[in-house]
Amino acid sequence: MLALAWVATAQVRLPQYTRQILGNGAVLDVMARKDVPLVTLRVTFKGGAEAEPPTLSGLAKVTAEGVRRGTAKRTSEQFSHELDSLGAAFNTNADLQSINIHAEFLSKDLTTGLDLLMDAILHPAFQESEIKKVTAQQVDSARAIKDSPDAAAWEYYRSFFYGPSHPYGRPADELSYARITAKDVAAFHKRMFVGQNMIVTVAGDVDPVTASKTLSTSFGLVPEGEMYQWVQSVGKRTPVAGQVKATRIAIIDKPDATQTSFLIGQPGIERNHPDRVPLWVVNTIFGGRFTSILNDELRVNSGLTYGASSRIDQTHLPGRITIASFTRTETTVKAVDLALTLLRRLREKGVTAEQLASAKQYLKGTYPADRLETPDQLVDILSEIELYDLNRSEVDDLFSRIDAVTLERANQVIQKHYDSAGLTFLLLGNAAKFGDDLKKFGTEIVTVPISRPGLRVEP
Amino acid sequence: MRLAVALLGMAMPFPVVLRALDPAAVRTHTLQNGMKLIVEEDHDIPNVAMYLFYKVGARNERPGITGISHFFEHMMFNGAKKYGPKQFDIEMEKAGGRNNAYTTEDMTVYTDWFPNTALRLMFDMEADRIQNLSFDPNVIESERGVVASERSTRTDNSNYGLLQEQLHAAAYTAHPYGWPVVGWPSDIKSWTMEDLQAHFRMGYAPNNCVMVIVGDVATDEVLRLAREYMEPIPRHDPPPPVRTVEPPQLGERRVNIVKRSELPLQFVSYHIPNAADKDLPALEVLSAVLTEGRSSRLYSRMVDREQLALTAQSAAESRLDPGEFLLFVRPRAGVDVAVTEKVLFEEIEKVRTTEIPVDELRKAKNQLLTNFYREMKTISGRANQLGTAEIFLGGYEKMYETPSRYEAVTAADVLRVAKTYLGPNQRTIATLIPEIAKPVVPKPEVSN
Repeated sequence: MLALAWVATAQVRLPQYTRQILGNGAVLDVMARKDVPLVTLRVTFKGGAEAEPPTLSGLAKVTAEGVRRGTAKRTSEQFSHELDSLGAAFNTNADLQSINIHAEFLSKDLTTGLDLLMDAILHPAFQESEIKKVTAQQVDSARAIKDSPDAAAWEYYRSFFYGPSHPYGRPADELSYARITAKDVAAFHKRMFVGQNMIVTVAGDVDPVTASKTLSTSFGLVPEGEMYQWVQSVGKRTPVAGQVKATRIAIIDKPDATQTSFLIGQPGIERNHPDRVPLWVVNTIFGGRFTSILNDELRVNSGLTYGASSRIDQTHLPGRITIASFTRTETTVKAVDLALTLLRRLREKGVTAEQLASAKQYLKGTYPADRLETPDQLVDILSEIELYDLNRSEVDDLFSRIDAVTLERANQVIQKHYDSAGLTFLLLGNAAKFGDDLKKFGTEIVTVPISRPGLRVEP
Repeated sequence: MRLAVALLGMAMPFPVVLRALDPAAVRTHTLQNGMKLIVEEDHDIPNVAMYLFYKVGARNERPGITGISHFFEHMMFNGAKKYGPKQFDIEMEKAGGRNNAYTTEDMTVYTDWFPNTALRLMFDMEADRIQNLSFDPNVIESERGVVASERSTRTDNSNYGLLQEQLHAAAYTAHPYGWPVVGWPSDIKSWTMEDLQAHFRMGYAPNNCVMVIVGDVATDEVLRLAREYMEPIPRHDPPPPVRTVEPPQLGERRVNIVKRSELPLQFVSYHIPNAADKDLPALEVLSAVLTEGRSSRLYSRMVDREQLALTAQSAAESRLDPGEFLLFVRPRAGVDVAVTEKVLFEEIEKVRTTEIPVDELRKAKNQLLTNFYREMKTISGRANQLGTAEIFLGGYEKMYETPSRYEAVTAADVLRVAKTYLGPNQRTIATLIPEIAKPVVPKPEVSN
């Protein structure tokens, strides 16, 4: 058992693991964790939604799903049957930055499980009939998002905040899924599923030495290919930190809504930004925990909502800082007003030494269980380290980086990153009840009926 | 539940028993006032999960005060004698901890996660609120708004939540499981101070509580702290027994909701025995056969082959009183709900008339076993499982028997429980039918 070293003020450390670069350029990390007889594998391919052609939003997701829908050796049904017979978990997903496969097997089944996983990665059939099923399901799922107003609000907000010329500004919807063909999927797979793009992270009930041999042989079979190059520039319409722009407001009109979901955003930072730790600390105080300023005022003191938060994106390109909450239709303007007042107050008054000390302790206390407890969490963090070209100091030095955030530094970070002007608002709710009252926040208001096909503010 | 999660930015085939699955790692002790402690040391990460299970929930309510157990869950964070309003959260977060809580039909559970350095503080704060909770009228009014917002977001503004609420209300005609844990809107508006105080006196006795602690602790220190902080709290009567027994259902029941939505939804419910009943493992296997994994019967036919649904899920509930076997289907756009219903019932009839093949039984057992191991991965997962086994199965040690309980199920058992419980006269069907709004395709209007 590898235990994490810990005394009251000590650091946490990433448990030992082996790391190797395979002949095809892939990274393979293996870590032993012996709690339950399971082994977790995560295979991450750099790129994700960012790498999609602009008109084919959702291609990364359909490709991720497509790999398990039949291979050269197995039909889609055989593949699922074999996985289920092992009691395995096999989830594929795509986010802005990657396509990933998360597989988990009983450790005694590692060889059998690996055969299935490699079959999906190396030999997916991408038959037209299967891909049509996937895209048709995704079309309906994208529509069904509108039955979950909070989730829908985040999709529209992404489109509104970044704009269609930015790779993050094109959420997949029923219109884009309908355009994706099996040919597109096969081409995307060929380009992205290559050794140069591949990160394999494994944790669980394995012996790292013998497992590494088996794993490196299997994953070494993936063709080397060409490394995906991150997008470097962004669309000119996306708000950029430090540039004053006009307030922008979008309303997604849902006439039967009894509550309003609202998001208020501004430019944030990229994943590797040097301010990331102090900003994380400050945002914890503002909207990252139960006793945060936002939740305390909007929920605890005023009972306006069940929850209010501030979230920071962690993406390769600069992301957003977003206030998120919801409230009954009648109190929409009151709640938005209060959130803005708190944002202004944060800028004017900063945070106190007491708030800072508490937030630092909170982050150090919650981090181990949030990120380092299970094999699933460990394969994720190893993958994140590799994907963003970081190293183990991201974990090993985290607590000293948190400790190093002084009150002065915290308040500098607030001045630099939290603005109360030039904000982007998105509200999803019954527009007839509050639309006119929003003019006090800004005059450039776009209203989109939720019944309009798609999840974009600008079609 | 107190917080939205979004706010918080495995027949052992192995000769060696891995640590998380070793019953010898657990120690128990019952304090003189009747509070039971279950402790498991795990020093992997420097953290502790402390779970307090109070055996009081929606089943202990009555018309007029529905939702009060859940409201109470919120009030437990709003101040006691030593730690005033907000102090529980403030002190806990300052010490590097985080909490949540959840209420069900059967119990109210407080979940604390914290670094090992905060153990004494947590005992002090938990003892304070069990013993000396305060009832400030202003705080009650503000928290009422929070709960109304929770109901609004999870039920009134959620097609899934709304339909599920109507399903339970139709499936139960007499037993308290028919009303929602969050409470009916009219009751949320009208709980009184007296209702709250009476509920506290009823539910929050130390002898009505099981405390589970898993993580980086020394068991002896936990017992010392429990004696110091918890043992002095006087015992008193627990909630009175729930007398009402749901009468047998004698015919199919239906409930429809017609409202604006993109896609329809369907629930089907059947009455099944309580969690400790010998038939529960077979019902869990049956549920896995129907919907666990993509090769399961309902998924492979409805979602994959015939493209009738986006989702097909099922669950055999574990409840103190007889619960439900639930099926949930999200039909595809343009698919008639009569079609998904017909196919669903065809598949139910198959498991009621023919034994499942051996390999399908093996597959379902493997799936249930690995799901069990998955829950054992974390200290919080184990704390939850140990407490749940203690309350629903009559002993925490039953948790370790989970693999053998599944292993003992035969194909004949599965056929028998399907025949016994999943008959057409015993089902309740709830359907959400979209009221079609005319699609409009205007350009976005810009008003200046």
